[in-house]
Amino acid sequence: MASEEAKEYVLPPEVLEETMRASEELWKPVRKIKFRIYKYNPKKDYAPHWEEHELEVSRGMTVLDALLIIKGEMDHSLGVRYSCRMGLCGSCAMMINGKQMLACQTRVLEAAGNGDVVELRPLDNFPVERDLAADFTSFFEKHKSVKPWIIRNDDIELNNPTGPYKQTVDEYARYYQFTDCIKCGACLSACPTAATDYEYLGPQALAQAYRYMVDTRDDGLDVRIPIVDTEHGCWRCHFAASCSDVCPRGVDPAQGIQLLKRLLIKRKFGYKPHKPAEALPAKVKAEKKE
Amino acid sequence: MRESTIMFFHYITAILIAITGLIHLLANNEPVIGAVIKANPVLYFGNMAVFLAALLYHAFNGVRVILIEMVPDRCWTKWISWAVLIVGIVTYAVGLQVLMVALGFA
Amino acid sequence: MEAESEFKEYYAKNMRGISGWFKVRAYTIERWLYAAHRITGILIVLFILAHFYSTGWHPGLWWDALLGVIVTFHTANGIRLILAELGFAVGKPLLIKKPSQRPVSIEGVQRYVVVFALVLFIVLAAIWAYYAIIVQPMMG
Repeated sequence: MASEEAKEYVLPPEVLEETMRASEELWKPVRKIKFRIYKYNPKKDYAPHWEEHELEVSRGMTVLDALLIIKGEMDHSLGVRYSCRMGLCGSCAMMINGKQMLACQTRVLEAAGNGDVVELRPLDNFPVERDLAADFTSFFEKHKSVKPWIIRNDDIELNNPTGPYKQTVDEYARYYQFTDCIKCGACLSACPTAATDYEYLGPQALAQAYRYMVDTRDDGLDVRIPIVDTEHGCWRCHFAASCSDVCPRGVDPAQGIQLLKRLLIKRKFGYKPHKPAEALPAKVKAEKKE
Repeated sequence: MRESTIMFFHYITAILIAITGLIHLLANNEPVIGAVIKANPVLYFGNMAVFLAALLYHAFNGVRVILIEMVPDRCWTKWISWAVLIVGIVTYAVGLQVLMVALGFA
Repeated sequence: MEAESEFKEYYAKNMRGISGWFKVRAYTIERWLYAAHRITGILIVLFILAHFYSTGWHPGLWWDALLGVIVTFHTANGIRLILAELGFAVGKPLLIKKPSQRPVSIEGVQRYVVVFALVLFIVLAAIWAYYAIIVQPMMG
């Protein structure tokens, strides 16, 4: 049985040959690229220095692949943080030729463009942990400070749910975009305000605050307003829109912050975006089971 | 005052400046319309009073925003706001007096 | 010893400082407008302080036209910023994203608003320059 199924999916030999050839071409070295890498250990070094490595790169090679080759074969002391290698964990954001990108999603040749130098630095405006790894402690503190969880007044229902909360597709569409955030730190690093203002909450935290404030299941609008509406809150955003420009997941935090400002102004005049959603009665569940 | 109130007035004064500033520019640079505006001292003075207030609020709040971003320390933030407020009020009082003297109201 | 620890702290913090406000390379046009808005704002404050100190002072002829460029830019871009920051020109959050989705707040209505602001800036600056260079000298 298994062999019959397998037979059905075998590619014709000419297609297989073409695929193999294309794959080989993708991984064939095409150009020599020089990597300038920032080396700095704050515990030991007096000042950072740059190290240069030359590498034959292929069309499909990402910056993270190149870094791992460099770490394995040329410089074992290189500090780089990565985890999933597919743009889902947000560990490997760094400055690639002066712009915040995920190392695992940027091809070397794409980053190099017409030149043959790729310059790698740790994220701007984050403390350096070591070499290319940045310290995210304050970033996560800011994220936590906007209370990124559902706040409700009905404790009994929240702790012992009788059914799911009601939500229409339109209500879901209000915040879905912001739930894709992977906390890679690229937005805060690109923000011009964060270049001097270390107290600034940052695009990531503010977009998450907006995400929970317009969620119909949530009732914490007035709890979060004093947190985001401060001297270092959402009004220090002047719409340079770099955060949205560098976001690898299309979260568009700049849009979230502007909508948050609109929400705050509307709240001043007594507007509330929604009533907290009610839980669906348990009966519906039982009926569906039958 | 909440930051949102301050910044809301920042936008309101921006629109006010665009209107009153246009009148101020016309009065001093446009031969025909300027003569009409200058012929009515109450309109001219009222316009200048609103323009000066809006301009000072907008300008000094802008300076405050830049200073807060440059010196993000929470302790300094409070002092910056107070200093900017006092300087702004003093400038407005002096400016109004200069205007009233120039237009013969005082 | 003090200097050394400060030096180390500078590199360990890795903050770009004020130069970060003006790091416009590699980003979109909004970043240029942000930097220019800030610079023109500071220049206008300097001008109005001089304008108050010796009442009615203005730099004269060609410099007046330059002042016009500064003021009209701040005005035109300010209109764009009021629209954007009060949530009118940034689009709606997406429900469906393409594999490499570009942000709606930059590539949606905002593109037209930027063009509108720049055109308004050029028109206003031209009118101002006309008055500064041609009408003012005639008025004496």
